[in-house]
Amino acid sequence: MLSWFFLRHDAVLYTNPVGQVVHVSDKVTQKVTDEHNNSDVIRTQVLTVRLLNRRGTIKLSNTYAQSQVISNQYRVGDQLLLENIDNNMHILSLKRDAVVGALAMLLVGLLVIYSKWRATSWLLLSMLINIGLFGIAVVLNVHVKNVNVFLLFSVLAILFATASLALVLGKTLQMGITLLTTLTTTVLTIGLLVAVLRLTNNAGVHFETMSYVTQVPVTLFMAQTIIGVLGAVMDEAADIVAMQFGMQRENATRQFSDYWHAGMSVGRDIMGTLINVLFMIFIAETLPMVFLMLRNGNHWTYIMDQIMNLGILQTVISGIGIVLAVPVTSALVGWIMSRKVGTK
Amino acid sequence: MNAIGLLVMILFVLMVFVGKGQGVKAFVGLVCNFLAIFILMILINWQFNPYIVTSIMSLIILSVAIYLGADNTNVTNIAFKTSVIVVAIIMILTIIIQYFGQFQGFTTENSEELEGLSLTVGLSFSHIAMIAMVISVLGAVAEASMAISADLTEVIERTPNMTSMRLYAHSRIIGGQILGTAINTLFFGVLGANIPLLIWFVRLRYPIAMFVNAKLLMVEVVTMLLGMLGILLSIWVASWLVVRTHVKQQKVVIKNERNI
Repeated sequence: MLSWFFLRHDAVLYTNPVGQVVHVSDKVTQKVTDEHNNSDVIRTQVLTVRLLNRRGTIKLSNTYAQSQVISNQYRVGDQLLLENIDNNMHILSLKRDAVVGALAMLLVGLLVIYSKWRATSWLLLSMLINIGLFGIAVVLNVHVKNVNVFLLFSVLAILFATASLALVLGKTLQMGITLLTTLTTTVLTIGLLVAVLRLTNNAGVHFETMSYVTQVPVTLFMAQTIIGVLGAVMDEAADIVAMQFGMQRENATRQFSDYWHAGMSVGRDIMGTLINVLFMIFIAETLPMVFLMLRNGNHWTYIMDQIMNLGILQTVISGIGIVLAVPVTSALVGWIMSRKVGTK
Repeated sequence: MNAIGLLVMILFVLMVFVGKGQGVKAFVGLVCNFLAIFILMILINWQFNPYIVTSIMSLIILSVAIYLGADNTNVTNIAFKTSVIVVAIIMILTIIIQYFGQFQGFTTENSEELEGLSLTVGLSFSHIAMIAMVISVLGAVAEASMAISADLTEVIERTPNMTSMRLYAHSRIIGGQILGTAINTLFFGVLGANIPLLIWFVRLRYPIAMFVNAKLLMVEVVTMLLGMLGILLSIWVASWLVVRTHVKQQKVVIKNERNI
């Protein structure tokens, strides 16, 4: 609540003019029908905007379509980010930081209530460190010429895994093993992906359909996949290793096959739902574009091929990574543990 | 040979090899969910009420994800109840957030892709934004509620005469661990998906004001936050439900002993 209040009134911090809509009047309404027989209504509204970090009020006009595909309807109370070009104010974007900030504070608040301050602060710290690392990688990628994108994001992935695991598990053998299995699985998965792409000559994969591309899309896609796979595999490996360490605490003289079977059975239970998590994220991302294409009279096969292509590819690769993590973790931990018994 | 087809086949073989019967089931579950989302798209495109369609499809996707994921009915029932409650809460929250934040549609950054497409399509994109957010939360909620209820049920089975206070303490410890790793999964998933967009923003020197207000980026952040909230709530609700059913069962046991 407090953060919402604060972020509603942080206009002073902005260098761009910020305004709040105090009055709206809808002026012209025009019915349109496009070539695919979609009927829509186009309206023009006149907004009276009171500037929050400048003096005075201004009037702006805004045209929007009812479906709000790219245009936006504004209401009284909305705060707008404005831009001043040749003494002509125009709207840059809706000011959303209050809503997002409030949601973030809600999450942090509930986290603190649930798991006390210490655990929460570790979790948040690891996220902040990761965002920091990520920011550095992105800036490096943009500013250093001829940088090897694939290498850059691989190093980033290793740092990510080390930082988050070290913060959650501490500097223990458990953390070392989890890290090792995570990285092994990720490398295997990416290797498999590269091999298949080479083998089939990228048949049926449309890297050119990627959005917001400012550089070679293939390496960018690889970077995306590495980071995505890493998170899921880390989650899974941490679960399996934790369980196997529990076994070892109960009885330190177990055989390799004990660890192997236990690890496989835990892994089997979690892999299905984990694949679902990533699947939902990747598919949801394509939804708006799918609807727009559908409404524009495109055929399903075309949409699957052009819009959902990379989303599906990414889900499948992440799935392979998640499945591979099960035997890799089980075997690696079993091997290390049973060797430890042997040396004793 | 199509690369995606080959990868799907590899995935299937691996799932069968690693997961045996359960692997086949999980694969079938994935295909079912894909079909469910497909149907959802068609229904929304035919302009059915988006709230009703989303609720029904969410139920279907959740039940597929949970009931095909594990065999123990104790676990699946609790997980399903939990995820339905949590998704309902998240959906209400999403509607509120969407109302204030206006996260729908595309922006000028998309103009290259939008070239040649009609933008007056008569379909409310603010509903679609809501649907996309709810769908992306579903997987995380199902995963978290399954994980915690499976772990807690196992704890109960291993130690038969546990007091509900001890069980509650256990749920706190396990919940904390699951929370950490599940949030990481989601965090990296979203971060990975947004590398191109962030590079775009940095390369074109967007001012910080745009970083924290631009629709494209904020949609992703909000989706991630909603997912994390979903995970947290799932753990909370599931452990509460497990403890409650445990207490009930103990009462029944005590009653039976008295009757004898």
